[in-house]
Amino acid sequence: MKTRRDVFQAIADPTRRAIIGMIAAQPLNVNAIAEKFDVSRQAISLHVRILHECGLIAVTRQGRERYCAATLDALGEVSAWIAQYRQHWEKRFDKLEDYLDNLQKSKQHVQRKK
Amino acid sequence: MSNEKSSTADRELRISRLLNAPVALVWEVFTDPDHIRNWWGPDGFTNTIFNMEVRPGGEWHFIMHGPDGTDYENKNVFKEVVLHQRIVFEHVSYPRHITTVTFESQDDKTMMHWHMLFDNREEFIEVIRTHGAKEGLSQNVAKLDVYLTHLAEKS
Repeated sequence: MKTRRDVFQAIADPTRRAIIGMIAAQPLNVNAIAEKFDVSRQAISLHVRILHECGLIAVTRQGRERYCAATLDALGEVSAWIAQYRQHWEKRFDKLEDYLDNLQKSKQHVQRKK
Repeated sequence: MSNEKSSTADRELRISRLLNAPVALVWEVFTDPDHIRNWWGPDGFTNTIFNMEVRPGGEWHFIMHGPDGTDYENKNVFKEVVLHQRIVFEHVSYPRHITTVTFESQDDKTMMHWHMLFDNREEFIEVIRTHGAKEGLSQNVAKLDVYLTHLAEKS
């Protein structure tokens, strides 16, 4: 199976979103992150790996520790999609407005004829 | 975790618009199947409405026909209906979300507030992602179309 690695996958999981929230404030090592969750350290390691592969965190080594820092630029991609989705709905309401306009014009037309 | 609390800001869409029509007419084009099928959906789409029972618990079942021939079936259930003020309906097929539309009469115009709330962040992200991909794709198809037309004109 082909796994996709993009920012959407990164934020599609609540634990990963929580991790991003934590390290956005300050870089943490994987153990410190794992301590805050009720899941195994292995599970957290996997989440960290996915976040790293999706470009949302940078991992640096300091001695034996791996520190994770948030690199949030990639999230801009998500807001761009959201803006596009909003645009999609705005266009649908443009259609509604046109429809209302035409309807009122034709009604006036009918009334004038009476 | 702290950012998983009650806030819905990360899985909703809000749009407000002042419509140039009195609230009675806006209500009519929203609730009468013979009207809504004429404007609902993205550009180039047509609709077949099977039923539209605008009352709490009533069903709204329709198909949107895409310009490329793809059909999109939609099933909604009305949760709340307050004449000329408020319609709440739940999209019961995937992706699940609740839409609340409120209308405020402003003289001969109507302020519409549109609010879509998705069940969870995951589905919202998925919708935006698929949607974006599709939108991009349709733009590409349109570009290809223009390109092919130019080619045909040249030859």
